[in-house]
Amino acid sequence: MASAERPPVILRSLDLCSRAIRLARKIRSDVVSLLDSYVERQGLDKNISLDGVDSMPTAAVEHWSELTEAERLGNNLKAYRIFQTLLAEVLEDQRTHLTPTDTNFHESIQSVMLQVSALASQLEELLMLLEHSVPAREEVEGTADSTSRSMFEKKLRGLKVLQELAQWSVRSVKDLHHVTKHSHSSSTVHVSHQ
Amino acid sequence: PQTLRCITHDFNIMTCSWDAFSSTNLGQSYEFCYENSGLLVCNKNKEKSADIPIVHGSTTIKITTLNASGTPLATTTFILPEKNVSFIPLTPQILSLTPDFSTEMLYLKWKDGGSAFPFDLDATWQIEVLRKETLERVAQVTYHSKLTSKDTILSWNWKSDMPLECVSHSVRIRCYINKMNYGGNKEWSEWSPIVTVPGEVPDLSFAKVFPQDRVVPVGSNMTFCCLHREDERIEHIKYGLKSYPLLHLSEWSSAIQVQNVSASESSGTNIWCSLLPYGVEGTVLFVGYPPDIPQNLTCETHTLDKIICTWNPGRPTELFASRQTNYILSERISGRNGTCRVTENTMGNVCVFTVLATQNIYNFTLQAFNPVGQTESSLSIDINQRVHPKTPSKFTVTGESPTKAHVSWYLPGNFIQIKLLCQIEISKSHSEPELDNVTVYGTVNSCYEAQLDMLHPNTAYTFRVRCSAADHFWKWSNWSEKKQWTTWEA
Repeated sequence: MASAERPPVILRSLDLCSRAIRLARKIRSDVVSLLDSYVERQGLDKNISLDGVDSMPTAAVEHWSELTEAERLGNNLKAYRIFQTLLAEVLEDQRTHLTPTDTNFHESIQSVMLQVSALASQLEELLMLLEHSVPAREEVEGTADSTSRSMFEKKLRGLKVLQELAQWSVRSVKDLHHVTKHSHSSSTVHVSHQ
Repeated sequence: PQTLRCITHDFNIMTCSWDAFSSTNLGQSYEFCYENSGLLVCNKNKEKSADIPIVHGSTTIKITTLNASGTPLATTTFILPEKNVSFIPLTPQILSLTPDFSTEMLYLKWKDGGSAFPFDLDATWQIEVLRKETLERVAQVTYHSKLTSKDTILSWNWKSDMPLECVSHSVRIRCYINKMNYGGNKEWSEWSPIVTVPGEVPDLSFAKVFPQDRVVPVGSNMTFCCLHREDERIEHIKYGLKSYPLLHLSEWSSAIQVQNVSASESSGTNIWCSLLPYGVEGTVLFVGYPPDIPQNLTCETHTLDKIICTWNPGRPTELFASRQTNYILSERISGRNGTCRVTENTMGNVCVFTVLATQNIYNFTLQAFNPVGQTESSLSIDINQRVHPKTPSKFTVTGESPTKAHVSWYLPGNFIQIKLLCQIEISKSHSEPELDNVTVYGTVNSCYEAQLDMLHPNTAYTFRVRCSAADHFWKWSNWSEKKQWTTWEA
């Protein structure tokens, strides 16, 4: 029986998905260790209630299974764009106000920032490859008044950014696996039609 | 009329009041008569009081009760010695009570009422600071001043041991004037009306902890309060990881007191207010040391156009970022300031001051300040005695004869005012290096040269050069790069 030849687009998207999954997993592990050093350096307690800290993309979503591929990837992209801005704010707060001499710590934040930016680019490429519209860039809420925040609010906000990012990276792995499965099944249908 | 009581507010006029009992008070009035400079003065009054000039010695006052139609009902004559007239200053009025929440200071201003007296008087003021709605007294202070026959605005300030946002603070004052030669009784004035600075009222949307982001010296005693909404309760307030007993301030405010705080981490010590049913609010306290006196302050010049000052900052302050120590270099003779660059690790601190054409002597003061203190160091130098030239560059060697060589090098800097002593190191294998000193007249950003003779022909040499000020040696420059050269054959 002739081996099924997948269309190049599908192959390309499967490759992109697997790379994005690996990157999301890397972000996940880096953020978890960054969380530990963040909590220690800010003198915080990991279990502190952060309900009061808002304007952040939350990973939790209802009817996850009913999301379309475009929604799945689009939501991920919007989230990581926001996290790019939020992480830049966290880094600035640490450099300028809270841990100005701790350059190693700053580098670990910066490393996560770069990975988030890379993941956003991969998601954008994936959306275009799968011929979905790429969501427009939005002004990130809450960053405009960062200077008026107290030091305690800055500390809590940074903690929440990292916690939410950790959860988003888990969700992204699930979303991307879902997209991969979808790509697999649609490529199989494609083969059976020939 | 009976029990006459007279008081004065200004030693000039006394206000007398009396009691009068009769079956019907309707339409009653009173006539009062007194002698003033030999004349009998009579007046009528509805109230049982009268203003009467004070005379030395004693005053005779006749008071008659009149009925509605003016018919006298009863008369009493009082002989009032001056000593029976009590002097009570007028009740003082507070002009303003201004809080500075960032420094926890209250600024009080009031008028001393000196214009009531045509002569100088010693006045004593009592100031009370009251806290909470229950007006608990937290401070009572005595303040002395001199009344100088005109109204003077007096001011006083008070540092609270608790953030002013935590609870309301009120102030009242009263006055006592001690006129030595006044025979009458002298009493305190009434208390002034109370003036209140309300504490912060919790915003409906969220609680708050005070003080916010404060910077304090190690060893401070601190009070932190948590303001919460009425539908919330405080579970605990922690300083760092330790919980402290709650002090109730008001229905929406409780506090903790922390004694002798120690130096905080770079990101500060957190103060948490954990609320019920849920939520946490907090603030951060940065605790550090005032700057040390700058040690080993050294000012020198490399090129005689800029003066570079460096120093050892001494004990770390444990304060960073916007809280770190800053420096100002000022020069007393010219009145100018240098520009200083401060780095986080503080070892790279440096100030630069532009050399002035007409000035050799410089009296520098280096001020160090951070949010918890300041200090300074001084240094006076003659700039021509602090020349530390840069490393000579473009060092070249050319031959002249089997026993002579010509060397030249470049030295940046404006050395017109001084002579330079340059040292050329001449080394060849298997022998100790020799040093050849040469003195040259300084010029501006240019090359210098020297001639070396009595060299051995056909011999491999290594040369290098360094320079310093010829008069008033301060420091050698670094050595230039080395140059190999083999002298010509004989």
